[in-house]
Amino acid sequence: MVTVTIDGKKIEVSEGTTVLRAAQSAGINIPTLCDHPYLTPYGGCRLCLVEVEGARTLQPSCTLPVSNNMVVKTDTQKVLDARKFVLTLIFSERNHFCPYCQVSGGDCELQNSAYHEGMTHWPLQPNWQPYPMDASHPYIILENNRCILCRRCVRACGELVGNYTLGFEERGANSLLVADTGVVLGESSCISCGTCVQVCPTGALIDRWSAYRGHDEQAIDTQTICVGCSIGCGINVFTRDNNLLRIDGNWDAPVNEGVICEIGRFKPMNEKCDRLVTPMIRKNGSLKATTWEEALKVTSSELKSHKGKKGDGIAAMISTRQSIETISHFKGLFSEGLGSELVTTTEEGAFTESAAKVAGSLGKAFEGKLIDMLDADSFMVLGTDLVKDHQVAGFFIKRVIGNGPRLLVLDAEENPLSLLANKALKNKKNTFEDAINALSAAVVKLGLTKEKTSIKATDLDGFATKTGLKSEDYLDAAYVIATQKPMIVYEKGVSAAALKDFAQLIGAKLISVKGKANSLAASQFGLEKPVKLGAHKALVVVLGDDEISQKMIKDFEKVPFKVVIASSSSALTAMADVVLPAANWLEQEGHYLSLDGRLQKANRCLTPATEVRSTDAILLALAETTGIKLNNDWTTELHHRVAATEIVN
Amino acid sequence: MVAKKITIEPVTRIEGHAKVTIRLNDAGKVEHAYLHINEFRGFEKFCEGRMVFEMPLITPRICGICPVSHHLASAKAGDAVLGAPPPRPASLLRELMHMGQIVQSHGMHFFELAGPDLLLGFDCDPATRNIVGLLQANPELTLKAVNLRKWGQEIIATLGGRRIHPVFAVPGGVNKSLKKEERETILAGYDDTIATIKVGLDIIKGWAEANMEDINKFAVFPTGYFGLVDPENALELYEGQIRLIGRDGNQLEKFEPSHYLDYIAEHVENWSYLKFPYYKKLGFPGGVYRVGPLGRLNNSEKITTPMANEEFKKFKALNHGKPVENTLYYHYARLIECLYAAEHVKDLLDDPDIFSTEILNTCHNPQPQGVGVVEAPRGTLIHHYWADEHGKIEKVNLIVSTGHNNWAMCEAVDSVAKTYITGPDIREGLLNRVEAAVRAYDPCLSCSTHAVGQMPIVIEVRDPEDHLVQTLSRG
Amino acid sequence: MGKPKVSSDWMAGCAGCHMSLLDMDERIAKIIELVDLRSTPITDLKVPDATGVDVGILEGGVNNTANEEVALRMRSRCKILVALGDCAVFGGVPAMRNFFTIEESLRRAYIETESTDDSGKIPNDPELCVPTKVRALQEVVPVDVFVPGCPPDADTIFYVLSELAQGRIPDMKGDKLDWH
Repeated sequence: MVTVTIDGKKIEVSEGTTVLRAAQSAGINIPTLCDHPYLTPYGGCRLCLVEVEGARTLQPSCTLPVSNNMVVKTDTQKVLDARKFVLTLIFSERNHFCPYCQVSGGDCELQNSAYHEGMTHWPLQPNWQPYPMDASHPYIILENNRCILCRRCVRACGELVGNYTLGFEERGANSLLVADTGVVLGESSCISCGTCVQVCPTGALIDRWSAYRGHDEQAIDTQTICVGCSIGCGINVFTRDNNLLRIDGNWDAPVNEGVICEIGRFKPMNEKCDRLVTPMIRKNGSLKATTWEEALKVTSSELKSHKGKKGDGIAAMISTRQSIETISHFKGLFSEGLGSELVTTTEEGAFTESAAKVAGSLGKAFEGKLIDMLDADSFMVLGTDLVKDHQVAGFFIKRVIGNGPRLLVLDAEENPLSLLANKALKNKKNTFEDAINALSAAVVKLGLTKEKTSIKATDLDGFATKTGLKSEDYLDAAYVIATQKPMIVYEKGVSAAALKDFAQLIGAKLISVKGKANSLAASQFGLEKPVKLGAHKALVVVLGDDEISQKMIKDFEKVPFKVVIASSSSALTAMADVVLPAANWLEQEGHYLSLDGRLQKANRCLTPATEVRSTDAILLALAETTGIKLNNDWTTELHHRVAATEIVN
Repeated sequence: MVAKKITIEPVTRIEGHAKVTIRLNDAGKVEHAYLHINEFRGFEKFCEGRMVFEMPLITPRICGICPVSHHLASAKAGDAVLGAPPPRPASLLRELMHMGQIVQSHGMHFFELAGPDLLLGFDCDPATRNIVGLLQANPELTLKAVNLRKWGQEIIATLGGRRIHPVFAVPGGVNKSLKKEERETILAGYDDTIATIKVGLDIIKGWAEANMEDINKFAVFPTGYFGLVDPENALELYEGQIRLIGRDGNQLEKFEPSHYLDYIAEHVENWSYLKFPYYKKLGFPGGVYRVGPLGRLNNSEKITTPMANEEFKKFKALNHGKPVENTLYYHYARLIECLYAAEHVKDLLDDPDIFSTEILNTCHNPQPQGVGVVEAPRGTLIHHYWADEHGKIEKVNLIVSTGHNNWAMCEAVDSVAKTYITGPDIREGLLNRVEAAVRAYDPCLSCSTHAVGQMPIVIEVRDPEDHLVQTLSRG
Repeated sequence: MGKPKVSSDWMAGCAGCHMSLLDMDERIAKIIELVDLRSTPITDLKVPDATGVDVGILEGGVNNTANEEVALRMRSRCKILVALGDCAVFGGVPAMRNFFTIEESLRRAYIETESTDDSGKIPNDPELCVPTKVRALQEVVPVDVFVPGCPPDADTIFYVLSELAQGRIPDMKGDKLDWH
């Protein structure tokens, strides 16, 4: 521990703490611009300069580590003059048109800094050298005239997301934020996560959709959970007058600590098209608007007529984007209440089945947690594209592999993560079990394990051939993954049992990404049956704001009575006999179980149109009309079978 | 010795600075008078490269008196470029802001600009013919005028966060809905607003009766008339089709605003930075037309609100149903529009959709260009943008309200000069009337309250050899 | 002693700052009581007294030769010069013209625009002023008080005028400075 005196206050901090962090911990405010609590210090803007006794010049407090008995002053005239001068230089470098900038008037850290220092004008006028504005990206506008070269975006793109798209070219007055080797953002390796926009202190990086829709102080900020995938990132949803303004990653959320991906941040901005606003019933061949009363009556009477039938009864499926409460009521209504044999989800257990079987046979959880990814020293990614889905898990890998941890990718499809891998293996389709066994054989052959296994070193060639790869490939791969703290991330199609054995062999932690927001919860409820439609007379699809494949829709055609509960119109609703308009994810609340067993509550952020109801409310109303009583005890049901990962509240 | 050129500089309350030069012939009669608009900023160039959605915040900086007009016309052009027509509640709210603006702008022009002329007289001592004089002569009326403007400005601030350069309309809709308390507050000032406008109407009608000679010889000339109307040719200030009638009152055209290029063009003169729009089929200057209150009322066949419509019928009777050509009747027409706008605010506030939060259409269908048109207080305002596939502006064309009246203002100055300068002896009365001719058109920038003290005008009288003969100055 | 003489004018602005001044509504009567309003765009006198005024207020940036004259004249005739609004203080929105040549801007407006007919040409009558680079007021003359904002709030303008009317330099900070 070291002691530092700041503005007369004695503060004790651990060695290595910067003067800035020490001051902040004691409630002393030093203005900053390039600093950010989640990024490594850069010391570029010089706004945080302070006086240090004995030092020749003013020092940047954000990069200066505290030394024992250091005496610091943050509020002398010298410091105040320096701050004004720093801001003067910053304003003179580029072209700041505050009157019409989207963040001006409260949300610009540069403007607020200037007001804080009492600046009424620019002592140095700019020379009006124009800088380019890049509008090539579908979501993000890069306005270089407003850039203060703080490099928060560059650091975020590298340190938080691991994408390293953004960087600076040239020097001095010609310094320019660019993507990759100097291409426009819309044609670059940018993955549209928007973290750069979230950290930008000025209006240099803004998103088109929320421009001019309102300042933060005019909006309501609701903390909730993203349901774009099974990770369950914490998000801040900004709304104004019941309209979505923008979505930020929640810096305080333990799951993601501020980062989110395109699916969570930008995709929801465009969800308003084709919303269903009224219940509809098919009359004389076409769908006609009707009341909830009539729609529920028609639905429940038809469903009751097929109650309990085997083979020609009711088929029911639900989207795994729905809350646990909804899934629980769904199961209660259709499985117990209406006695349907085919009650499942739209993903048919594909993402969870394998791991659930292993957990069942073991009698206990066997997977690790997301947090284990943070101190893994090698990663193996199997059969899952972390660039397309579960992107934040991909960020956790991408942002560390430059600094030591190694990456092995094994996939039967083209996997974009292969580009960053130390070793990438592309096996033949449906040969994952053989591939994993080949890896085990390789590990044994190389003597990289002390564990016992039935697989022998001599088995390597045989397994390798089956997968269409060479034995040498597996030997290389074994070196990558057989480290002190390996982490294996896998998805459907991969034999969890074989993988579990391999993990034990090398002492690795396992995580399966498990599909969508509540795929694990649906698995716990036993809703994993494949959708095999026979002579079913009625079909209920609780789609919500999800999508299903064209193939499934085609299979549905033959069912004579179809009920669809959905948020937007689609080919599926077009063929339905009853359409019930449902809220989307922002308009309803409920619990979600993330891929590593974290139980979280999603909060409602918007109110849907008058005749639109939450999916849960629709199922409860349907139960009531059908005379079925449902219980609310989903917590017990959630634990009634062993999960692959420990469920934590 | 006969004077050749008279220069009046500056003309007050015009976009930036303007001056009048009057050429006399050898006999000392006015040959021609020119109104030189002396300012140029270049919005049509420097907006290139900005985003379409920034334009509703950049273009209001063209004018601090009617920023709302630019804000809304720009958003409408943005709606067209994004292919995202706003939901009905958003259009209602935009129109509400627009009506607030019409009330404040028209009200202020009449009371604080024209007021001193009309209440204290054209020829009244210049030292008292101003806001201070008005305040002393009739403090109650002045306060009413201030509150009239305040009512309109507060509607704007309620919706857009600020009275001037509000942030409200975005392409596809608006960013805020109306709250119940806000509606109550606006309605609370309604009765006083109507009462003040009616006081104004009494003033102008009384003044007209007492000054018929001036009314009939002061800048009276034929032109076409141009502005928005609804399908039944009722006055429209926010949304509609553009209608153009000829000097005899017969309809020449009625078209979608986005097709304006097919019908009008702009002529350039070397001696003014303001261009001259005209109707292409009749060429320049045969195809000139007037916009703004006089133009719009001539161009319309009715007004959809009851009190304004009653006044409107009286206005139409002034020339037995034919277009009213007298420049000074602009003041009367302005107040009728002010009354309509105030009444219409109430209609909008009573609309069942006025509290709806369905205020933004986020489904885009981008187009390469888009036109947005509204009737600003001073006339038809046209914003035309061309954008690339990323929504970046490639080209901008703006035809700004007062511009359509350019020829008419020049003609008014010329006509008044010819009417009142009959010889080499130039008296002070000339100065006031020349100013009044321009002022009646309420050219943009007539924010002002009016003369306090004397208007400093320098009149130089020069002989044919350009020697200075006589200098008349005041102030 | 008499009331302090105040004069104002506008250059390459939009008049929004003077409109914001009027937005002080009935408080304008108080100001008129405290000061002797000389030339302003709202009082018809166009030039500040040759004998001098106490406070000169200028709105708008300097973007042509006529503006330069106005700025120089006001500076030479007033004791305290106030730059009112972002255009006077920084250059403002009209300063965007500096990214292009003046020739380009004139050509676009008077020749290239889609609605301009064949008579299109760049006006150059000697009666007209000549456009220049757009500058903040302080780039042309020394300024004593800066009042930023686009436009500055009516409350801010009322505060500034009241202070100047009572012989004090306004202290621009806090909500007087923070523009929304």
